[in-house]
Amino acid sequence: MHVLLVEDDAVLADGVSRILRGHGMAVDVAASGTDADAILRHAEVAVVVLDIGIPGIDGFEVVRRLRARGSGVPVMLLTARDAVEDRVRGLELGADDYLVKPFAAPELVARLKALVRRSGTKPVDMRIKGLSLDTHAKRARVNDQPIELSAREWAVLEYLMQQASRVVSKEQIVNAILPWGEELTLNAVEVYVSRIRHKIDGGGIAIRTIRGFGYMLEELAE
Amino acid sequence: MTPSIRVDLLKWLIAPLLIINLLGALLIYMLAWAPAQAALDQNLAEVAYDLRMHMKEKGAGIALDLNTQSKRMLRITLSGEIRFVVQGSADRLAGDKDFPQLILPPNLNEPYPYSGKIEGVPMRIVALKTMVGERVVYIGVAETLAKRREIQSSILLALLALEAVLVVASVAIVWFAVTEGLFPLQKMQGRLNQRAVDDLSAIEEPHLPTELTPLIGAINGLLARAQDDGKARQSFLANVAHQLRTPLAGFKAQLELLQAKYAGEQDTARSVDLMMLSTDRMVRQANQLLSLARADPTRFDKRGLDIVELDRLVIESVQHFVREADKKDIDLGFDLHPARVKGDHFLLRDLIDNLVDNAIRYSPPGGLVTVRCMQDESASRLVVEDSGPGVPVSDREKIFSRFYRLDTKVAGSGLGLAIVADIAKDHDADVLVETGPNGKGTSFSVIFPGIVQAGGRPASEPASAV
Repeated sequence: MHVLLVEDDAVLADGVSRILRGHGMAVDVAASGTDADAILRHAEVAVVVLDIGIPGIDGFEVVRRLRARGSGVPVMLLTARDAVEDRVRGLELGADDYLVKPFAAPELVARLKALVRRSGTKPVDMRIKGLSLDTHAKRARVNDQPIELSAREWAVLEYLMQQASRVVSKEQIVNAILPWGEELTLNAVEVYVSRIRHKIDGGGIAIRTIRGFGYMLEELAE
Repeated sequence: MTPSIRVDLLKWLIAPLLIINLLGALLIYMLAWAPAQAALDQNLAEVAYDLRMHMKEKGAGIALDLNTQSKRMLRITLSGEIRFVVQGSADRLAGDKDFPQLILPPNLNEPYPYSGKIEGVPMRIVALKTMVGERVVYIGVAETLAKRREIQSSILLALLALEAVLVVASVAIVWFAVTEGLFPLQKMQGRLNQRAVDDLSAIEEPHLPTELTPLIGAINGLLARAQDDGKARQSFLANVAHQLRTPLAGFKAQLELLQAKYAGEQDTARSVDLMMLSTDRMVRQANQLLSLARADPTRFDKRGLDIVELDRLVIESVQHFVREADKKDIDLGFDLHPARVKGDHFLLRDLIDNLVDNAIRYSPPGGLVTVRCMQDESASRLVVEDSGPGVPVSDREKIFSRFYRLDTKVAGSGLGLAIVADIAKDHDADVLVETGPNGKGTSFSVIFPGIVQAGGRPASEPASAV
């Protein structure tokens, strides 16, 4: 996974790039908007981590030019200014997510992974601990043993895997698995989740219930 | 004693008025006494003429035929002691022996009144030069001052009464006039009292008296400066927080690297963990100060507010809340129903963040926190319940003060609830602190009065937040 990190603060750029490399990502660092723009014109990257307040052309302009060229590369904005207009403007210009400095490394990593998962082509295989999904064949395995899933159960599990470590609401699950507008009650989602839980038991992952809201697929501690 | 315009005006008006009154009274006294004196002197002169009637030329001398009855009559008809003397140019002819030497009037039959003394007693004396036959005779009649004193007293008494009435009337009139004169000030005071505590806008008084215009001008200048100062302070605070964040982010990232690298070495890991804890506290403090600066009611602009859906705001922060709750193994739950308010998206999110953060912070590990929002026919509500130790009724006001902390063992900025209070105030919302459900913990309710009709979803909905 190739990341372009655009950050002019040398200490932060150093720290973040080393953290991301530690998670197996390839990181290029650009210290100005002009450099970033040049790199994005020629290189293919999986995701851009972009500070708004950078020398040269600012982060907003980098996003604007990127989207103007028709690129769908996911962009994570970094801002020291949490206020208000910045976030809105960045998102309106086509950024996909933002983080307010300072942030925790695991959060940055999780969000970047989520951005990449959501963008473009879905990876054919997803694997977390003992659970692996072959999205092409729509087959799931727990500890390399195939498990039987209904089409709906498969769709729910695939969505939860895509959003791993993130809380998703029942409504989101319904919307994600029924894009064609079929009726599905929230109770039905509960039933599917309950069945999936039984089937993935022992795989080192769990689907946690967030009371009154939804679910989160997470790795179990060792 | 504090100076008082009313008292000063009264002093300056009443003292001169009293002096003028006194001078007037003196004049009246003199004007009233002069004719009385003249009349009394005239009476005394009549006695002298009466005496003259009883005199006859007798050879070379003058005979005074004054029987006891006449004497008595003279003394009785006139109040007070009457004394007299009759004398020629040089010799005493009749009368009291101790009558002092008469002042001899120059003109004939023109009574000459003057004041004198007989045996040390002050008397009023009238001297008359008259003719008895061919002889020039001087008659002196003296009267004690008893009658005159009596008249003087009654004149004085009348004057005093008049004076008293005048003084009372003056004070009343001056008091009324001063009150009337100060009325615009009072009116202004009333309107200033009605102002919101944090209202620093210029005073606009209709029909302002000319005399108050410069004062109001000066106060408005002061208010404008206070407002500018406030704004400058706010933007300084915001800048500081912004400028702190990037270096803090770098610091934190480097510490995270160290944490990963030295996880196995106990002492180093402990130090790095503690450094991380301090850094996080610094980060939070900077964020809270920025939040406070943003929420400051003196800076809040009620124009151009969005329609904000509270349930969506909660959902935006759900990832963050769950992560924070996980750190303490707290069961965080939600009960979200559509609830619309008119307000500032980011401030309201700060409000929710702070309430939830507060609930997680003060709940024991393994505790229960529930975030609810709902709307009924009169208001939208946001409720955050925790299973913490609860807030004693006596502290329920205080916890909203800046830097007030109920439990100093829990690491907190002491600003969270102050921020909540400020943001609630910005939105005309009330914050209610109650004992939580089942008599345990605390329930914070933010009540946004009024109903906001459905509008579009706020434009500022981050697509990735959910």
